[in-house]
Formats: sequence, C-alpha cells, structure tokens
Amino acid sequence: MSARINKSTNTTTRAAGKRHSLMGRLIRLSGLLLTAGALASCATGRIDPTNPVGENAKQIDGIMRLSGYLATAVGIFVAVAVVLVIVKFRERPDDDPDELPEQIHGNKKAELTWTLIPVVMLVFLAVVTIPGVFDLSGKGDGRTIKVEGQQWWWQFSYDVDEDGTDDIVTANEIVIPVGEEVNLEIQSNDVIHSFWIPQLNGKKDAVPGRVHHWRISSPVPGIFYGECTEFCGLSHANMQMRAVVLSDEDYNNWVREQLAPATTPTAAAAKRGYDLFGRHCVSCHVVNGLYESAAGGNANLTSGYAPNLTHLMTRTSFAGALFELYKDDGSVNVADLKEWIRNAPGQKPSRPDNRQGMISFAETLSDSELDDLVTYLMTLGGPPPLMPS
Amino acid sequence: MAITEERPEILELESGDTSFSTGAFARPTNASGWRAWFFTVDHKKIGIMYGAVAMFWFLWGGVEALLIRAQLFTPNGTVLTAEQYNQIFTMHGTTMVFLVIMPLAAAFANYIVPLQIGARDVAFPRMNALGLWLFVFGGIFLNLSWFLGGGPDGGWFAYAPNTGVTFSPGAGMDFYALGLQIAGIASLVGAINLIVTVLNMRAPGMTMLRMPVFTWMILVVQFLLLFALPVITVALILLSFDRTFDANFFNVAMGADPLLWQHLFWIFGHPEVYILILPSFGIVSETLPVFSRKPLFGYSVIVISGAAIGFMGWGVWAHHMFVSGLGPVGVAAFSATTMFIAVPTGVKILNWIATMWGGNLRFTVPMMFSISLVSMFTIGGLSGVMHSVAPADTQQTDTYFIVAHFHYVLFGGALMGLFAGMYYWWPKAFGYKLSESLGKWHFWILLVGFNMTFGPMHIVGLQGMARRHSRYGPEDGFDFWNAVVTIGAFVILIGMIVFAVNIVRSWLGYKAGTIPQEPADPWDARTIEWAIPCPTPEHNFDYVPVITDIDDFWHKKYQPDENGKLRKIADGNEIAQKGDQSPHLPSPSYWPIVLAAGLPLIALGLIYNLWVSGIGLVLLLGAMFGWSLEPATDPNAGHDDHGDDHDPDTNAPDGDEGGDAEVAEEAPVG
Repeated sequence: MSARINKSTNTTTRAAGKRHSLMGRLIRLSGLLLTAGALASCATGRIDPTNPVGENAKQIDGIMRLSGYLATAVGIFVAVAVVLVIVKFRERPDDDPDELPEQIHGNKKAELTWTLIPVVMLVFLAVVTIPGVFDLSGKGDGRTIKVEGQQWWWQFSYDVDEDGTDDIVTANEIVIPVGEEVNLEIQSNDVIHSFWIPQLNGKKDAVPGRVHHWRISSPVPGIFYGECTEFCGLSHANMQMRAVVLSDEDYNNWVREQLAPATTPTAAAAKRGYDLFGRHCVSCHVVNGLYESAAGGNANLTSGYAPNLTHLMTRTSFAGALFELYKDDGSVNVADLKEWIRNAPGQKPSRPDNRQGMISFAETLSDSELDDLVTYLMTLGGPPPLMPS
Repeated sequence: MAITEERPEILELESGDTSFSTGAFARPTNASGWRAWFFTVDHKKIGIMYGAVAMFWFLWGGVEALLIRAQLFTPNGTVLTAEQYNQIFTMHGTTMVFLVIMPLAAAFANYIVPLQIGARDVAFPRMNALGLWLFVFGGIFLNLSWFLGGGPDGGWFAYAPNTGVTFSPGAGMDFYALGLQIAGIASLVGAINLIVTVLNMRAPGMTMLRMPVFTWMILVVQFLLLFALPVITVALILLSFDRTFDANFFNVAMGADPLLWQHLFWIFGHPEVYILILPSFGIVSETLPVFSRKPLFGYSVIVISGAAIGFMGWGVWAHHMFVSGLGPVGVAAFSATTMFIAVPTGVKILNWIATMWGGNLRFTVPMMFSISLVSMFTIGGLSGVMHSVAPADTQQTDTYFIVAHFHYVLFGGALMGLFAGMYYWWPKAFGYKLSESLGKWHFWILLVGFNMTFGPMHIVGLQGMARRHSRYGPEDGFDFWNAVVTIGAFVILIGMIVFAVNIVRSWLGYKAGTIPQEPADPWDARTIEWAIPCPTPEHNFDYVPVITDIDDFWHKKYQPDENGKLRKIADGNEIAQKGDQSPHLPSPSYWPIVLAAGLPLIALGLIYNLWVSGIGLVLLLGAMFGWSLEPATDPNAGHDDHGDDHDPDTNAPDGDEGGDAEVAEEAPVG
C-alpha cells in the first residue's frame, strides 16, 4: 500500500519539476505579451472609452476605476493566497504518506471575518455607486434632440423653434454645441438598438415604444465616434454614428444652413440627377423643399424611414457612418458614394427583399445615370463644419 | 414503488406488489448492444450518455467558436458573411449553455448523486431516460435549422422584437424557441426526478447536513431549474405564438413593451448562470479536500452559501438590463443586490483556499483543474462585481469586457470544474484513470489557451470593442489583441485534441491491459461512491450503506488512536464492497425514447405542416399509453431468488451501529 503511495509521490515530484520550468516560460511569455499589449493599447482606435471627454463619461470613468482597483486588489490577494498554498503545502517526497495534515473542519472566526470584510467593501462600493446612478440619470439641461435608431442607421431630429415639429432631420451625425449638456430622447423605429458614444457618456438602449432620456456633452469641439451596441440584426456591426461638437458660432451657422430647404439644381448633369432622384429615390428618401413624399414614414421599409438627404454634404460620412463622405484631401469621395448607390447591399449587409435596407440599383441605373445622381447629391449643402482629423 | 429497506427518520415508501407483471406491453429483456443503451433506465448509463452527447455538442460549439474567432482574426474579416456570423454566434452561446454545460452537469448529477447518497437508482428511472432523450432530440432539432434555411440569428438571449417574423423571417428563431422548449422539458423532468431522489432516497443516517457538497449543490441547482424553467417556457411560448399565430405579445404597434421579453428571459437567465456554475462548485468541494487530505473547511458555510446563492440569484436579473431603461431606482436596487451576491461567492472561494491551507496537496489532474477553477472563477467573479457598478456597466455592457467576464465564469469556472470532475470520477464510471501525463498536457495547454483567448478580451472590451459585431475596422485599433485571442482559441483546440487523445488512448490501453483497472478507492477519497468498485457495478451498492458522518467513507478508513491522533485503520480498497451481489434492477423500457421522439415532430409540424405535428402527437400519446400499461418489471428477469444467497456478515459495512443494512429489495421502477 505504502509502496503505491510512494510511487505516486515520486511521479508528482517529477511532474512538479517539469512544471516549474514550464511555469517560468509561461511567466516570461505573459510578460512579453503584456509589454506588447501595453504598446498596442497606446494605439487606441476611434471608439475609445479609455479617454473620457464628456462630464458624464468622466464621472463614470472615476467610478469604474475605483471598482477596478478594488477588484484588482482582491484579485491579487486571492492570487497570492493560491500561489502560497500551491508552493507551501504541496506534497513533498519526504512526507510520510500515513501522516495526515492537521484536520481542520472550519473556523467560525475566520469565516465570519472573510464574510464581513467583503460586506464592508461592497457597502463602500454601493455607497459610491448608488448616488452615481441617480446623478447620471437626469435629463440634460440643454436643448432636446430626438434620437431614433433603425436598421441600420441613426436619425437625429431638432425642434429648433420648439413648436412641437422637427425642423432639422439629419442622419448618423449628431451635431451639438460645445459645453452644453444636450437632452436626448432616445427611441427606436424597429428593434432595440443602443446609443453609445463612449467618450461622452455610457450606453442607453433605444427601445421601440419607449422614450429614454439621456444626455451628452463635451467641453471641447471635435468629432467623437460611437456605434450601436445592442444586437439589432444583420448589419448591427455597421451601425455607427458620430457626435460633431461645434463652437457656438459654428453651431449656429450649422443650424441656419440646415433650416434652409434645398433648391432645384440648374447645371445640366445635376438637373438630370435631380430627375433620376425623383424617379428612383423619393419613395424612401426626403429632400426638404423638393421631395417630401416619404416624410413621416413609409411602407417600403420596416422601420418607415430612410436618411433625410437635404444637407447630405454637410455630413462627414454616409451609410450608417460606415463610409467617409470626403477624402483626406477634402474632395468628395465620389467612388464610394457611387458604388453605394449602385449596389448598397453589396457594400453593407442588408435585406432589401425584407424591406430592411437600401435596394441595389445595379440593374436599374446606367453608369452615366449613377454619375448624374452623384453630381446631384453633391449639390446638397456642404462642406461640413468640421472634418475628421 | 421504491426501495423497501427500513429507513429510520426518512419517509418510507411502500413498494407495492412487486410480483405484478402483467401489462399490455412487455418490457425489453436481456438488452445488449445498442439496445442496452437506447432502452436503458440505469442512471449510470444515462449519465454517461448525457456526457457523451454533451461532449459532441461541445465539439460543435467549439467549431462555432473557432469560426467566430477566424472571422475576427483580422479587421474586416471575410471568413463569414454577416448573416452566417450572426447565426453562428447565436448558436455558439445557445449550444454551450443548453447543450454542453447544462447536460454535462446533468451527466454528473445522474451518475454521481445516487452513488453519493447510497441509492440504487434515481426515484423515477424511466423519467430519467425521458429527460435524456428529450435533451438529445432537442439538441438535434435546434441544429436541424442549419439544414433548413439557416440557424437562429437573434443572439442566445433573443431580444424581442428582433426575433419576430418581421425582422427574422427565416425559420431559425422557430427552431430556437421550440428546440429550447424541448430541452427545457428535459431539464424540468430531470430536476423533479433528482429532487425526489435526494430528498427521499438517501441512505440511512445521511441527514441533509451529512450529504456530500456535490449532491447539495446539485439539489440547489434542481430547485433553481424547477422554478426558472417555467419562466423561459412562458417566454418561449409567447415568442412562438407571435411567430406562428401572429399574436402580439411583442408587437410594439399593438402596445407591447419589448422589455417584457428581457424581464422574462433574465428571470430565467440569471438563475441559469448559477445552474451552470454551482455543479462545478460542488465538484471542487469534493476534489479539493480529497487532494489536500483535509476535510472541507467550513462544510456548513459552503453548503449554506451555495443555497444562499440559489436564493439571491433570483433577485439580480435586471443587472442584465442596466441600459434598457429601468430608471434609476430599479438600477440602484439591482446594482446593490448584485454586489451582495458576491459575498456568499467570495466566502466559497476563501473557504476552498482555507481547505487547501495546511494540507498535503497532491497535484493530480483533477486537483489542477480544481485549483484553476478557484483562481479563474475569481477573475470572472471580480469583473462581475465591476459590472454590478451600474454606471460603469453602461460603458462595459455589450462589449468584449462582458464577453471576457462570462467566459471566465463559464469556461474558467464551470468547465474547469467539469473537467476536474471528469478526471476525478472517470475510474468510477469506466474502471480506469485517464492518463495523468496527457491530462497535465491537456490542463496546461487549456489554461494557457484559455487565458490567451479570454484575457485580452478584457482589454479590447475596455477599448470599446462591441460584442456581436461581425466585423471591426482597421481604424478601431483592435487588431493586435484580436489576433492574440484567435491564436488563443486555437491553443484551446490543441488542448481539447490532447483531451480527446487521452480518452482514446486510455481506453485502448485499458482494453489492451496496459492501463490497469483501478481499485474501488484510487484517490483515497472521502465519500461513499468510492466504497464500491470501479467501474460501478450495475446495482451500485451490495448493501444499503449506513451513514454516520460527513465524509463517511473516509471515517471508515481513518480513526483517532488512543492519543487522539488520526491514524489510517483500513485501506479503502480492502473495506470497499466486492460488488458480487446481483439484486433485481429496474427493467429497461422502450417508451421514454419513443415518447421523446414525438416532441420534435410536433415542433417541426408547427413550423412546416401541422400534419407532421399530428404524427408527433400520435407518437406522444401512444407512448404515454404504452408507458402506463407497461408491466412494472420484466417477468423474465428471474428476480425471485435475489438476495437469498448472500451472507450478510461477510460484506456488511464496518463500524455502523444501525445494523439494518440489507440488500435492497426492489429498485424503483419509475
């Protein structure tokens, strides 16, 4: 009997030796990975919750860091305890197999202690958290902007004169004045989406049939990136958005420009494009002052809405903020725009046969007709007040 | 209907007339080959089948995971289309939760619990078989969708109204709703069965607070299942009615609030998390003491905290909904309850460490997996506490930080514990140990792969990478860590290949005689399933054991000497039973598998053609009819002479004062 135990003890010891070297290699490997990772982490992307800018995002960041430090401290404590146990209490070759370690069945004091210490820590965390929840829940004290999610883009509406009707309807880019805590009324026209511009605030779901109040603000002008974060179907990954924060002057100019209706183009190519638009696009898209038949929702789309194009060229992006509207040199990104109109489902997964997303015009429109259409679109306002850097 | 030995203090069940053997349909007799498995009502065979089928789905769910990771290896991946990606991540989650971890836990519950409480079988053996076959057919049905127009595409928690026919016109979500319904019945049947078994069929002397912790945790889980499953049943019925009969439960235009689905789903879904993790907590509560050669530190605290988690688990569901518009009062309340469920969980972790503290740790493979549960689960638990801070959760939710969190809980916690259980109880089920050296390779490769896969997800999650996105852009800055994660996923694959090789090689070695048959007690273990031979004889116990202690078997081996010092007084393998009795056992039955086969037909009919449902209904009702008219026992089993040829003195357990151990007269018939 004891021979059997001794044998197994020896096996364990040999394995332990091997494990030491393996563990060493692991530690070195993970060190390497962490270094590489730290370098990679510096290269943060456009969506970046680690660099909060808005007041709410900063407040959240503070609470999150606190909870993170607390969790890390507890984690290190447990890790040290586990490593200590593994090193200190491993079976050794010279252990008498018939000698039992001290049989401890429990210790009320110890158990009470490590029940109460977490309780105290969590009460502390709750005391920090709960006021934060209430702080962050109120409406913004600035102007109200209606936010509507639909498959797979965002619509933003402004009631400038506060008469109960929307005066500005735009898509994918929410434009706000610097330093003002705007009050968002988040809604959905089809399934559940989630509004998230992490540098300005946390997420808020857009739930059909409900209006959720949320607020964002930024102390500095700039473009901040966001995306839909509640799974909303086929093109969930391609439902992005931007917040364009403008100085007061730029903002007022932007509002003035947006309020102006579009005018009929005069140049020949643009005029041809304008007519094509009237034949092919107006069953879904609205251009204020010219083509408004699709306003207020239409039956061609499950959500009832397609982006309002009145001032398309004042935006920096199109198609759910998936594509840049302007190239780095400031010229219009004609190629992508044309390809988008030619075959939208090929550029962004969608299901037009189920009234979800824009149909393909590859069979309907000739190449020159597409050029004319793009030429017309390029007359719709612009350039944007702020370009992505 | 059940065991007839005397059981002081425990409800005694009347056996009825065991000579009753007339019935409209004969039971299968002398089953061998595949029939021995398909018509069995033996809890051990059923447990093994649960495990085998779950491992098959684990393979498939793993393939789905690797496809996801292949797609995200680089920005703008082109391995999958968005449509395929959405279906695959939906089915990856659904598969791993409902077809892998739950049935793996069911495998252990079925196999081990009757052994740990000294029972001959579960209370209702035929219902047990029914549960297994419903799970098998439910899983097949769910995955039929791949061949019939595409898998479900709504995510595993299937938020309405995205799952309605308007937005998900394919049949995938129908397969999801009906398939989970079938699998749900399987779990419900199993839960009732195990609750009755544990409450009524414990060996004499095994009071609730002498029950092994694994059995305790399984009992808690069965109560959670019993109360949680009806909730998702209701939710799935509403969804099916919406999709099949144009009902308006989630139709916003008709005044519905889609948050109804979220509440129903998570009232089920959060207890479900504990359904997934508690069995593994039970497993390591068995293995850590055995391989530390110390009793569990604070048995009662661990049991009570397990039960407390079971209760508190009902009060935290809305923490999945912090951004869905609950309002600050709801958010604050669920934030606080979620924080405090960390207390009993933390107590368990520290008690496990205290169990090892001062011990004499043997680093066998099950021990290594158990320790990795303690440490990896802790990471998942702590990130869980970070999510409970609701404002922080508004940045973390639906990002990879959450994905990292629940994989540390479910892979680092639940699966690591289940692997520990597999290596630990393998000899009990199959007679031989899995190779310890291959097992260590399996463990280390898996541990490295696991941390490489899910560790960096914390980082990309905090960097803002959203989950369920079929692509990310090169401008997002997620490339590096996603590449690491994908490589890690393939390291996990290598680890699992090593595991498969281990299973095959150990089996072949056992067949060839190079790997020895293990004695009854290969680990110097503590609980009574180790007092019977490896592999478990068909009838489990020769004699109904009489229990006098927690860790009763261990106390038969170790007793204090005259100085009060604990000494080994007996070798476990020598005092273990010889397994040479052949008491009468419940007869196999055709009907559970036939009855179970009716349900997927009914479900298929609801999607395609009600006539198919009719056929399924006929099968279902016919099987119920046959089931009820089946004779209680197989008339040809020749059980008249059972129990007459044994000599009670040779094999009676030592040291019991009860003296009422006798061969069980009659096994349950279900």
